[in-house]
Amino acid sequence: MTAAPAALPGARPAGALTTAWRLAPLFARRRDGDRLATVLPVAAFAVVTALLLVVLGGAQAFFRWDDDLAFTYEAFAIIAVVLLLVPLATVGASAARLAARRRDERLASLRLLGATTGTITVLTVLEAAATALVGAVVGVAGYAVLAPVVGLLRFRGEALGSQMWVPWWWLPLAVLGVGLLAAASAVVGLRAVVVTPLGVRTRQRAGTAHWVRVLIAVGVLLLGMVLMQMLGVLGNLGGVVAIIATLAAIFGGMLLALDALGPWFVRVRSRRQARKAQTVPKLLAARMVLEDPKAAWRQVSGVAMTSFVGVFGAVGLALTHMTSTEGMDADEKWLMQDISTGVLVTVAISFLMVACSVGINQAAGTLDRAAVHVSLDRLGVPRSVMSEASRRAVMSALWMVAGGSALCAAVLIFPLVGMAIFIQPIAIATALAVFALGFLAVRGAAALSARLVPGILARPERAL
Amino acid sequence: MQYPGGTTPALDAVDLDIAAGESVAIMGASGSGKTTLLHCLAGILRPTAGSVTFASAQGPVRVESLDDGERSRLRREELGFVFQQGLLLDELTALENVAVARMLAGVPRGQAEAEAAQWLQYLGLAGLEQRRLGELSGGQAQRVAIARAQVTGARLIFADEPTGALDSATSVEVLDLLLSATQQGRTLVVVTHDADVARRCARTVVLRDGRVVSDTAAAAPAVPATEVSR
Repeated sequence: MTAAPAALPGARPAGALTTAWRLAPLFARRRDGDRLATVLPVAAFAVVTALLLVVLGGAQAFFRWDDDLAFTYEAFAIIAVVLLLVPLATVGASAARLAARRRDERLASLRLLGATTGTITVLTVLEAAATALVGAVVGVAGYAVLAPVVGLLRFRGEALGSQMWVPWWWLPLAVLGVGLLAAASAVVGLRAVVVTPLGVRTRQRAGTAHWVRVLIAVGVLLLGMVLMQMLGVLGNLGGVVAIIATLAAIFGGMLLALDALGPWFVRVRSRRQARKAQTVPKLLAARMVLEDPKAAWRQVSGVAMTSFVGVFGAVGLALTHMTSTEGMDADEKWLMQDISTGVLVTVAISFLMVACSVGINQAAGTLDRAAVHVSLDRLGVPRSVMSEASRRAVMSALWMVAGGSALCAAVLIFPLVGMAIFIQPIAIATALAVFALGFLAVRGAAALSARLVPGILARPERAL
Repeated sequence: MQYPGGTTPALDAVDLDIAAGESVAIMGASGSGKTTLLHCLAGILRPTAGSVTFASAQGPVRVESLDDGERSRLRREELGFVFQQGLLLDELTALENVAVARMLAGVPRGQAEAEAAQWLQYLGLAGLEQRRLGELSGGQAQRVAIARAQVTGARLIFADEPTGALDSATSVEVLDLLLSATQQGRTLVVVTHDADVARRCARTVVLRDGRVVSDTAAAAPAVPATEVSR
């Protein structure tokens, strides 16, 4: 019998940057045929970049006039960008999380092997940034395709056309920005791995959402209502800039409040559903949500902003509809029409972003739950039951997101415009259309991600 | 049986007849085809040639000719599984993991949980019903898997390295529980690397390179080494 090989003395440890640099190509090559998991984050970052450039291109097109109404158009453009930045950030965060999901486990393993926090952090930043940069470059090409289409929209009687093109030097800035966003999100998401490497390996129970969140959310809502009432006063004091800043603060605050409240509400409701479930899909759905209420909420939280924008948009449309154009000059008539167009475009782009965000999150969720799908299949669970459980898990959170955010928007805006506007048929129709589209987008994204399941079941050994 | 892209068959000329109530250990080195054989027998994989016949409650069934839905039904109603990882659902409690198998058969939740609770109690898990998997030891999780495999009245239980992740004392307990199922008329097919596990079964089939190289009955009848823990 030959003797076991003797242990070799270790080399002098290299710095974090050097070690990470050496390890990075190793992981870049590591594909395991799991192409989807690699392609999805790249595609997600491509969508983020393309939409970011389209939004910026559209907004800067409104800065070409210099007449009396120019400032009004610029103000509306800024409001639209503010409204779209939040869903855009949601898509960006989803893309970053998706990229991070596939990394967590092997980074945790590296930690267990003794890799330093520095090595892990540098490796994460390198990998996230590389994925995002590739996606962002593809996204620039996507912008080149989308811009001429969006350029067909007409404002003040003329098509946006070539005004949709941003200055060339914005492109590398956008690519860099998306790369930085990805790196920052990855580092934030890395905390769990770095602090408790075993936590990731052993699937510890997710933190529970506390009821104190309800108090915070109600407080923020009340503050928002007060600020909405003071918009006129603030406008007199600080002009349109103060109004825009206040609106942005209110929107941001409301979304944060919803984000604080949502997971708690989802947990309470799902716990009740888990207790009362009489069928396997209902029980599985409730337990899937309870496994991590925050993740369940995040999966559809993009809808919060869209519902919020939808209610504001519905009221905006009703206002322009009710305003008589008699006695207005041509420019003012254009303005009325353009506000309607702007509202619809903002809501449409917002939906596109939410659909992307939900699709990305759903796909990541399905890939994450590959072992569960294989497990259920072996138990003899029909695929229809699996699909129904996943769909129920998403839709139950969605009702809460959409309903909650629409209610918040209505509470904020009601004191300003009154009942007359709210019951306008166009307001009701727009709000209903917004919700219907939102639900369809989520259902569509859920259906799309369900198509990953047969692939998972065809190669179960990868999931176990 | 040949995997797509594979150059050699994963299983070749395997001819087995397993009787009701028998306990069969399938042994062999890694890559010898043990798990592939188990997956073919259980309808998880469809063999590229040959057939698998199962004596179901409704009469003989050619497993490979069933469609996906029918094979799912077969697994749900007549087969039970205990794998190394248990294949239990992390999100569910121990009780729910067992009850879900009955709920899939259309049994109301209350009744399914009552039946599940009886099995958990029988297998020594009374008081742990509401624990989730992360809160159970490896041996306890395997007991939950055994309860789930039996609560449906499965006639045939497949176990793939059921003791692979357990210490030796717990392994003996888990194997006792599995073998006790054969005393209730169930058939047990165990894939294992462990010669001690194989020795406890009534019959041992050894595979090499996808072929059966030996098929021997145990010298002594398979009986539990210890009393079943209650």
